[in-house]
Amino acid sequence: MGCASSKQFKRAPRHGDAALLAKETTFSLDEVKALYELFEKISYSIFKDGLIHKEEFQLALFRNSNRKNLFADRIFDLFDMKRNGVIEFDEFVRSLQFFHPDTPMADKIAFAFRLYDLRGTGSIEREELKEMVLAILNESDLLLSDDAVEQMVDQTFKEADLNGDGRIDPDEWKAFTSMNPALLKYMTLPYLK
Amino acid sequence: MSVRPSVGIVFPVSALLIDIWLLYKSGLIMSAGHLFLPFQIKREIATMKLIRHPNVVQLHEVMASKSKIYMVLEFVEGGELFDKIVNSGKLGEDEARRYFHQLINAVDYCHSRGVYHRDLKPENLLLDSYGALKVSDFGLSAFSPQTKEDGLLHTACGTPNYVAPEVLADKGYDGMAADVWSCGIILFVLMAGYLPFDDPNLMTLYKLIARANVSCPPWFSTGARNLIKRILDPNPHTRITIAQILEDEWFKKDYKPPQSEHNEDVSLEDVDAAFDSSEEHLVAERREKPESMNAFALISRSEGFNLGNLFEKEMMGMVKRETSFASQRTPQEIMSKIEEACGPLGFNVRKQNYKMKLKGDKTGRKGHLSVATEVFEVAPTLHMVELRKTGGDTLEFHSFYKNFSSELKDIVWKTESNTIAK
Repeated sequence: MGCASSKQFKRAPRHGDAALLAKETTFSLDEVKALYELFEKISYSIFKDGLIHKEEFQLALFRNSNRKNLFADRIFDLFDMKRNGVIEFDEFVRSLQFFHPDTPMADKIAFAFRLYDLRGTGSIEREELKEMVLAILNESDLLLSDDAVEQMVDQTFKEADLNGDGRIDPDEWKAFTSMNPALLKYMTLPYLK
Repeated sequence: MSVRPSVGIVFPVSALLIDIWLLYKSGLIMSAGHLFLPFQIKREIATMKLIRHPNVVQLHEVMASKSKIYMVLEFVEGGELFDKIVNSGKLGEDEARRYFHQLINAVDYCHSRGVYHRDLKPENLLLDSYGALKVSDFGLSAFSPQTKEDGLLHTACGTPNYVAPEVLADKGYDGMAADVWSCGIILFVLMAGYLPFDDPNLMTLYKLIARANVSCPPWFSTGARNLIKRILDPNPHTRITIAQILEDEWFKKDYKPPQSEHNEDVSLEDVDAAFDSSEEHLVAERREKPESMNAFALISRSEGFNLGNLFEKEMMGMVKRETSFASQRTPQEIMSKIEEACGPLGFNVRKQNYKMKLKGDKTGRKGHLSVATEVFEVAPTLHMVELRKTGGDTLEFHSFYKNFSSELKDIVWKTESNTIAK
């Protein structure tokens, strides 16, 4: 069972594990240790098992453990790399590094692409974009007619879907975000530096 | 995860065409394993970003992947100046002088900011759709030291016809004087229709340049001859300076000094991260409608993406450095309401299309509070107004926004989110 314990940090990360994370991510050893404190605070907020559950994540993000949000769900799902319904410390650190100010833009672009590729098909479909537009309007209590929503999605596709096949593929996404870098502002957290 | 170069794609971006130039080809590739730009290059790019001159191709955005730097440059659509000579022969003296004025203005402006071109040549002189000269690639030659060490690559890159003798001698040189030399060659070519120093044999060419024995064609006026002789002085220490060129009688004819450009609000944040600062273009365009906000921009505002909330609990009750509200009024109404609201709050307003800059008239804790605001169209019936603090104290911005939004309460429909501005 020796190797299983290296995947989960029941207590503070062993020096070796933290050092490995520091080596393999943008973070320094001290930063990994600081992240552990944060991780501990979140992962012991409700279930006290050293793993971040969806409710704990929502509590940390919105100060409300019941607040459902499509985008927070997407972040959670990508952070949960092993797809076992919880975020472990290792996953937490490896995922947060995408938000580090020093992480190359290309990596952030790719991460955002996966966020928006809701069904994991390798491209962002029109339906997915519409679903996300409806979600953000709902989140902000904004009302828009269905026509206006359709128009907006069409317009965005006109700009981003260069070959007009109804899907935004990774290359088109790179081009689109390169022209609109402000789209990825949320991918950089100054706190991490 | 590296971005594959796709050279020369041109996208229409919000009524302005810009060209992504992948400087891949200019030797801008960082050695593998370097995650960030070395400090020096970063500083150089930051300087380039501050260059805003009507005769210099503007650097809009900077992005970096693991191995490459991407620069989004102003798209100049009029082609190269030298196409004119190729197509219609030499230029008249007055026309040549007009371009030379613009060239000297551009070079002088960049030098004053510590940026040297070092590679002025016909390919770098472009014309915009109004026929104004635009110098491109300013400062970029500083990034290709490898090309210089590798003689083969260097000669394969282009002709040395425009290069100053001290540069060819490779003795270490003054970028200012070297740029002046290249300007002289360019002026000569414009008026003569051919190069002052030219030979198919490279060694012979080097000798011609080193000797700098220039003979002007008979149609050059005396004034032009004198100026060209003083520029094409092989000794960089005695060569005419830009300050002296500005005083030259031939040069001064019809000379209009350039208008100074404001660059107080140039954002350098994209040099560190990526930040949209495509505001303040040199050509003020009139637009019928506000910029429309694309679906991804709207989505990116979700609180679900705001992972900063995980870090600073105490930050959550505070207004951020930027905020926004939605309105169902027309953009014109929104603009005039904002303007009205600014008066009583003691703010000056500068307006351009659907963007405004608000500046406090009192000096606060960290200088004048200044705020940039822009109206975006989400849909014809829904507009989003963004406010961003561009200078001054964040707490003052907070209280400004409180007063401001109460002045505007009849046009504000929804504010950004429920977790802020308590």
